[in-house]
Amino acid sequence: CAFFTGKLNVGVDAVQHGVEGLTYLLTESSKLMISETDFQDSIQVLGFSDDLNKLLVQLYLENRKEIRSILGELAPKLPSYHNLEWRLDVQLASRSLRQQIKPAVTMKLHLHQDDDQTVQVLQTDPSTLLHLIQQLEQALGEMKTNHCRRIVRNMK
Amino acid sequence: MELSAYAQGGWRLLGDPRCFPRRCYASLLRAAFRSLLDHPHAGLDDPDLKDIDPAVLKHCHAAAATCILEAGKQKADISAISTCLEDCKLDKERIEQFCTEYQKNKDALEILLGSIGRSPLHITDVSWRLDYQIKSNQLHKTYQPSYLVTLNVENSDSGSHPDVRFSCTMEQLQDLVGKLKDAAKSLERATQM
Repeated sequence: CAFFTGKLNVGVDAVQHGVEGLTYLLTESSKLMISETDFQDSIQVLGFSDDLNKLLVQLYLENRKEIRSILGELAPKLPSYHNLEWRLDVQLASRSLRQQIKPAVTMKLHLHQDDDQTVQVLQTDPSTLLHLIQQLEQALGEMKTNHCRRIVRNMK
Repeated sequence: MELSAYAQGGWRLLGDPRCFPRRCYASLLRAAFRSLLDHPHAGLDDPDLKDIDPAVLKHCHAAAATCILEAGKQKADISAISTCLEDCKLDKERIEQFCTEYQKNKDALEILLGSIGRSPLHITDVSWRLDYQIKSNQLHKTYQPSYLVTLNVENSDSGSHPDVRFSCTMEQLQDLVGKLKDAAKSLERATQM
C-alpha cells in the first residue's frame, strides 16, 4: 500500500480501501459466477468512466476461473484420491502353514487432504478385487443414467 | 514329521489300552480336534474321559493337539503321520482312527492355520455415494459430481479397523478403476502361466 501511495499520491487508507473494494468485487462476482452483462450492470452504479468499466469487466473475465478454483479449496473436504500403486503377491508359506499358494493384491493408496499426503498400504484377495471393480464401475455408470442426467440438466 | 519328547510320551500313553481303552481314545481324539477347531474348552467334559487321571488326560490332549497342528502345518500325508505314530508304539487300528479323523478335519485345519499371521489391512468390501455439488458458502454454482468411497477393511490382529474413506471426482474414480482392472488382468495372466 505504501508503494502505491507514493506512486498515486493518495493516502495509505485510500489505497487499502481501494484494494479491499476491488478484491470484494472480484471475489463476490466470481463466487456467484455472474454473467458479463450482470457484472457490467452492477458496476454501472459506481459511476466510473467507460474505459474503466471495460477494464474491470476484462479483469473479471480473465481471473474468474482462477479465483473460483482458489475459493473451491476453502470448502470442507475429505481426504481425496490421488493415486493407486499395486503389486501381485503369492504367499508361499508362513510360520503356521507351509506349502501355500495364496494370491493377493497389495496396494498403496495415496490420499491428499489440504497439504497432507497420506499413504495407506492395503491388501485384498482376487475375488474381492473383482467385486471392487464391479461395484465401482456401477458407481461410474450412475452419472449416465436418465435420472442423473435429468437432475444435471435441471440444475443448470 | 517329528514330535517333541513330551508329545511322544503322551502318544505312548494314548497307545496303551490300559491307560486309554478304545472308547476313551476315540473320545480324546474328537476332543482334541474340537478344541482346536471349535472352542478351546470343547470336548474334555466327555463322560468317557471322566475316569482318566486329569494329569494324564492333559498330557495326552496336548500330545494329540501337537500332532494335529504339526501335521497340518507340514501338510503331512497319511504315510508320514503313520510313521510318526508307529514310532510311538501305536497299533494299526489306532493309527487308522487318527488318520480318518484327521482327513475329516484337514480342510478346516488348513484354513485355521492359514489365517494366523500378520498382513496389511485387508479390504473386505466397498461402498460408494454419488453427490452432485451445487454450492458451498465460498463458491456457488459448482455443479459437479463427486464420489465418496468407503473401503471396509479388516485387521489381521484385531479384526475390525476404521474404514478408509476418501472423495474423488469422476476422472479420479476412472483412474482408480482403471488401475484395479490392470491388476485384475495381470492376475488373470499370471494364473494362466
